[in-house]
Amino acid sequence: MNKVVYLDSAATTPVDPAVFEEMRPYFTERFANPMTFTHSSVGELAHTAVEEARERVASLIGSKPDQVVFTSGGTESDNWVLKGAVERASRERLHKPGHLITAEFEHHAILHSALALQRQGYEVTFIKVGRSGIVDPDDVRHAMRPNTVLVSIMHANNEIGTIQPIAEIARVAHDGGALMHTDAVQTAAHIAVDVNALGVDFLSLSGHKFNGPKGVGILFVRDHESLYPFIDGGGQEWGLRGSTHNVAGIVGLGKAAQLGKQRLPGELTRLTALRNRLYDKLASRIDRIAPNGDMRQRVPQNLNIRIEGIDNEPLLLAMNEAGIIAAGGSACNAQETLASHVLTSIGCDLKEAKSSIRLSFGYMTTDNDIDYAAEVIPGLVRFLRSMA
Amino acid sequence: MDKYSRATIREFMSPSNIGHIDDPSGVGHITDNADAVELTFFIKVDNGVITDAKYRIAGCTALIATLSVLSRELPGKTLEQALAIDMNHLSDVLEGLPESKWRCAGYAIQGLHLAIDDFHSRSA
Repeated sequence: MNKVVYLDSAATTPVDPAVFEEMRPYFTERFANPMTFTHSSVGELAHTAVEEARERVASLIGSKPDQVVFTSGGTESDNWVLKGAVERASRERLHKPGHLITAEFEHHAILHSALALQRQGYEVTFIKVGRSGIVDPDDVRHAMRPNTVLVSIMHANNEIGTIQPIAEIARVAHDGGALMHTDAVQTAAHIAVDVNALGVDFLSLSGHKFNGPKGVGILFVRDHESLYPFIDGGGQEWGLRGSTHNVAGIVGLGKAAQLGKQRLPGELTRLTALRNRLYDKLASRIDRIAPNGDMRQRVPQNLNIRIEGIDNEPLLLAMNEAGIIAAGGSACNAQETLASHVLTSIGCDLKEAKSSIRLSFGYMTTDNDIDYAAEVIPGLVRFLRSMA
Repeated sequence: MDKYSRATIREFMSPSNIGHIDDPSGVGHITDNADAVELTFFIKVDNGVITDAKYRIAGCTALIATLSVLSRELPGKTLEQALAIDMNHLSDVLEGLPESKWRCAGYAIQGLHLAIDDFHSRSA
């Protein structure tokens, strides 16, 4: 393979070698089912590993270990909390269909789950978001209804990286008697995520966004009685989530959480500087360029820019030819030929949305990667603009 | 969305005939904000035969590559032969353009047809 500068860490990240090493024995000699720990020494090894991983994840988000429920990733966690919490509160507290508040620019795991609830007769409000890419807590306050049972607003947007005022929104939700969920897939291990400081009842995160393996994540559940199980099965995870534990994946997630917590302060500073340097260089070499969403209230690993007069598709392909991997919308809807729903929700017109690219960074991103991108991208923009 | 062929990528990375014709016989112009397309297609016609074709384009990869192929095929063709060129043929030259991209790539043919219409209205 030729030189690859990977600037798509918001889509996924490579497994850290230390994470991989920690996972390895759980595929082979430590293969046992952790649920057999009561009578099996090998089961106990697996059980201990799962519980250690749980403690590591809890430590990353400031929760108690028994509030960390392992899932298959962010999408499952989002599906589960929306469907499980809205249904339970509606059935047991309201005795009629409840109301969910979320935002127009959420990940499709939330949006499509919300639409599924709507089809089943629940009420849903999709909050509009302005050019800043930041939800106004007052808009949530105005959307609250007597039957609002859940508010779900992402901690940081996956395309533009803007950080949401979750603590304030959680207060609004609680004042109105609703529970609060945040999708922290883009923030966990990147900025401080503390479930108590945020005041949330539920929080989703996914291992592969911070150098853990794919296929494993968690839902933080403050109170086990606040939602119905989503995957019914054996008694795993306090009966909240059936299915044999993905032990190796869980061990990997735990290790990634531990490393993420250790690295966070340094990485926050490093990636912020690196991101700003790239933007400054691009802005000095390309005219008619602007960031999408607020640049200050933004996760360090995200840069989303629109470049007037170009279509992002040929730009991304030309970048790929030059060895630079980036994204248009998010990887999850890379197959859409339509413009990003996130950018149109914050007020970009279709043309602006289609002239935008997302560059995202991670632990593996180096200064050289940034310099190469800053060197190559302006020439490709000139190439495309020269055709018009 | 399917992947683009290598032929399409090669074509769009070094497109033929970008530019404009100073004294065109016909010009076709298309703006579509929803598709973020801005296309101007120029033809030069001599004795009913196209002698030159150029274009200016802001648009997607498929459209750039399709315009490039189309512009190379036009010189020497009568207007009738030019009007007979379709997406099936252009897609074949590009070693298979993903079908999801045919609508957008079709602006190339529309641009040519508008330029031919313009030629007819000028000579009427």
